[in-house]
Amino acid sequence: MLENRNQTNRKLLPSLRSSGGILLIVLIALCGVLVLSLLLSKTPARTLRYFFLGPLQNTYYFGNMLNSATPLIFGGLGVSLAMRSGNFNLGGEGQIYGGALVTTLFAIYLAPLGVLGAIMALFIGASFAGALAGLSGFLRMKWNTSELITSFLISNAVVLVMNYLISGPFMDPSTSLIATRKIPDSFRLSALLPPSSLSTALFFALVAVVAVHAYLYKTKSGYELRMTGLNSRFAKYGGINTRKFIVLPMFLSGFLYGLGGGFAIYGTYFSAIKEFSAGMGWNGLAVALIAKSKPSAVIPAALFFAYIEAGARSAMLHSDVTFEIAAIVQSIVFFLISSEVLLTLFEKKRRNP
Amino acid sequence: MELAVEMRNISKTYVENNLRANDGVDFLVRKGEILCLAGENGAGKTTLMKVLYGLEGHEEGTISIHGSQESISSPLVANRLGIGMVHQHFMLVEDFTVAQNVLMGIEPRKYGLTYDMKKAVALVNEVIGRHNFSIEAGMVVRNLTVGQKQQVEIIKMLYRDVDILILDEPTAVLTEQEIEGLFSTLRQLAKRGKSLILITHKLQEIKAISDRVSVMRQGKMLGTYETHEVTERQISALMMGKSISLSIEHRIKRADSRPVIEGRKITVLRQGQQRPLLNALSFTAYSGEILGFAGVSGNGLGVLEAVLGGFIPIFDGKVLHNGADITNIGTALLRKQGLAYVPSDRLQIGSSLKASVQENIIVGESASFRKNGFLDQKRVTKHTNALLERYSAKATAQMPIGTLSGGTIQKVILAREIERYQDYIVFSEPTWGLDIASSQFVYEQIAALRDKGAAVILISSNLDEILTIADRIVVLYRGTRVASFSGDEARNLSKEEIGEYMLGIKSQGAPRA
Repeated sequence: MLENRNQTNRKLLPSLRSSGGILLIVLIALCGVLVLSLLLSKTPARTLRYFFLGPLQNTYYFGNMLNSATPLIFGGLGVSLAMRSGNFNLGGEGQIYGGALVTTLFAIYLAPLGVLGAIMALFIGASFAGALAGLSGFLRMKWNTSELITSFLISNAVVLVMNYLISGPFMDPSTSLIATRKIPDSFRLSALLPPSSLSTALFFALVAVVAVHAYLYKTKSGYELRMTGLNSRFAKYGGINTRKFIVLPMFLSGFLYGLGGGFAIYGTYFSAIKEFSAGMGWNGLAVALIAKSKPSAVIPAALFFAYIEAGARSAMLHSDVTFEIAAIVQSIVFFLISSEVLLTLFEKKRRNP
Repeated sequence: MELAVEMRNISKTYVENNLRANDGVDFLVRKGEILCLAGENGAGKTTLMKVLYGLEGHEEGTISIHGSQESISSPLVANRLGIGMVHQHFMLVEDFTVAQNVLMGIEPRKYGLTYDMKKAVALVNEVIGRHNFSIEAGMVVRNLTVGQKQQVEIIKMLYRDVDILILDEPTAVLTEQEIEGLFSTLRQLAKRGKSLILITHKLQEIKAISDRVSVMRQGKMLGTYETHEVTERQISALMMGKSISLSIEHRIKRADSRPVIEGRKITVLRQGQQRPLLNALSFTAYSGEILGFAGVSGNGLGVLEAVLGGFIPIFDGKVLHNGADITNIGTALLRKQGLAYVPSDRLQIGSSLKASVQENIIVGESASFRKNGFLDQKRVTKHTNALLERYSAKATAQMPIGTLSGGTIQKVILAREIERYQDYIVFSEPTWGLDIASSQFVYEQIAALRDKGAAVILISSNLDEILTIADRIVVLYRGTRVASFSGDEARNLSKEEIGEYMLGIKSQGAPRA
C-alpha cells in the first residue's frame, strides 16, 4: 500500500513539477507584459487589449501569427532532436539562413523540372544545413570538440558568407531589396487565409512534427538515439554505436532547420532576402526549451512564442508602445526558461558529481 | 596519553539505500601516533573519516577533538579544528604552480590587491624545507609525478597547521619507492606531534608504518590493537570475518570442456603512471565452469572488467573468443560476437534510469523487434513482461527503471544479459548491495548458466562469493596474477589463505593453469 502510493508519487510529482514550471513561466511572462504596459503605456487598457486579443481579431493577424510559428516549429524540432541525443545545436541561425539561400538558388536553377525540382531544391538546401550542423558533430566525434561552441561559430561565419552571396553575386538588381531573384511561381505554396502570409507550409510543419515523433519513439534508430542521450555509457555498454549518434542527430537537426528556411522561401518570402531569417534560429531554440525537447509539445510552444510576438506587433500598431516591449517579454521568457534548464542541470550535477 | 580524536558511538545510515555504514563506532586517536584504519571494501572506514572531516553528517554519537566536544558540520570547520584530509583523488589545479595550489584561498597579496607570487613561493618553500620534501614551490603541478602531487596535497594541509591528518588510501597510486618516501615523511610528521590516520587495507603497510591499527567490518569497529602485538594473519582474519554463507553445488570439470575466452598476457597501462594496471595477465575460461577473479579493489578487478566489456583498450597482449582474436574491437562488436555482461556499476552502466524497463531490456537487441521499419512495441512489451515474470521481478514494462529497488534492477539486468548469452558471460560484483535472498537468486542463475555449458567469468572482491560459487579461482594483486586454485584445492581453500594472497602477503611462484 505504502509502496504503491510512493510509486504514484514518484511518477506524479516530477510530471506535475515540470508542467507546473512551464505554466509558471508562461504566467510570469504574461505578468511581465502587464507590468510593462502599465509602466510604459499611457493607455494600458487599450495596449493590453490589443496585446492579448490583437493576434486573434481578424484572419490577417491570425494568419500571420500562424505563419511566424511555422519556421519556429521546424527549428524547435531540430533543437529537440539534437537535445534528445545529448547534443546541443546552437547554429540554427546559420542553418536556417543557409538552407533558405541554397534552396532558393536551386529552385531557380531547377525550375524546368516542376514539382520534382521543387522537392529536390528543398532537399538540397536542407542537406546543406544538415551538413553544417553535422560538421560540428563530426568534429566532436573526431576530436571531442564541443558541438555547442563549434555549431555557434560555424553558424556565425555562414551568416556572413550568405550575406555576401545575397548582396553580391546572387543579388537581383531589378528590385530595391537586397535579395536574390524570386523562385518560379509554380514552386510557391498556395496561400491560406489571405491576405495574411500564411501558406500550406504550416501543414508541412505539422507533418514534420509527426515524422520526428515517429522517428524518435517508434523506430530502432530513434530508440538508440534517445538511449545515447539519456545515458551514453549505458548505450555503449548495450552495444549501440554511440559515435554514430553524435553526427546523425546533429545532421538531422540542421536538416530540419534547413527545411524551415526552405519552406519560409516557398511559402512566404519567395526569394532569399538579406537577413530575412534573423532571430528564427534562436527562437527555435527557445521553443525547444519551452517544449522540453518533446516533439509534440513543440507546436503549442511555437504558437505561444508567435502569439507573444504578434501581440506585441498589434499593440504597437494600435496603441503607444514600441516593438521593443515584445523583445523584452521574449527575453523574460528566454531568461526564465534557461534558468529552469540550468536548475535541472545543476540538480543533476549535485546528484551525481 | 593525550587523545587527539575521540569519536564515541558514531552511527551513520545512508538514506538512499538504507545502508548502516557506521554502527555505534568508537574511534580514538592518540596525539603523535600513526594509526591505520583497516577493513574491507564497504566496511565503513571512509564513511567514518568523512564524518570526522565534516563531509557527512551522523545521527548518533559525539566527536571530541583534543578533549573538547565539537560539532563538525563542514570541512571548513574541520580545518579550523586542525583536521586535514588527503583524498585518494588529488584536488589540484594542474596548470598552477605548487605554491599557487598550496595557497589557494589564502593567497598573499601585494598592496592588498595583486597576487604576491614571490612571497608565495618563499612561504611554501619554507614549509617544504622544514619537512624535507623533494619538490620546489615554483614547479608546475602538471609536470610532477603522482608521488610528488601527493606531497603537494600534504603540504597544503601542513601549511594550514593541521594537527590531525587523514590520508585515504595514500599508497594506492604510488610506486614502491614513492611509498618509502611517503612513509618516511609520515614518520617525521608523527615525531613532530601530528596525529596521522591512514585508511588502508594493505597489511604490509599497516605493519610497516603504524603504531596502532583499528579494524572495521560491516559498519562495526572490531577493536584497536598495538600493531606490534598482532600478526598480519590476525588482522586479515579480523578484516575478512565470517558471514552467512550461501551455497551452490560445485561442479567437477567436464570432459567436453573447451576454452571459450582466453586472455594472453593482457597488459593495461595508464598515462603518467609507471605501474601497469594489469600486468601480463593470462587466463582461460572454459565452458561449463565458473572462473572467479578475486582481489581487493584497486588491484585490477575493475580494469579487467573494463577490458572484457570493451571500454578500455589493452596495451599489449591478446583476447581470444573461441580462438578468434577479439582484442580491442570495442563494445559494439563484442556484443555482436556474443558478449553477455552484468556490470558492477548497474546504475550508471547497466541501466538507463530514466528509460522504461522495456527500453532497458531491448538495448542492443532492438534490431530483432523491427517490423516494417518500425519497432514492434507490442512485441517489445510482451517480451519484457515474459522476462519480468520468469525472473519474478516486480515491475511493469512501462515504468522508468530508476523507480525500482536495487535488487529488482539487478534482476532486470540479469534477465536481459542471460537472454543475450551465447557461450560466455561476465559477472562483475553481481551481488553487491543485494540482500541474502536476492544474492541466492543470482547464484542460482549463475549456476544454471554454468550447467547449461556457459563459460562464466566472475569478477568479485567479495571473498565469500568467490569461495561459494567459483570452480576455479585466480587472485589478482597489483594487477598481477599471484595465485590460482582449481578443483579440490579451490573447494578446500580457507578465507584466511586466499586473503593472504589478496593482500599480497603470499604469492605462488610460477602461475599455474
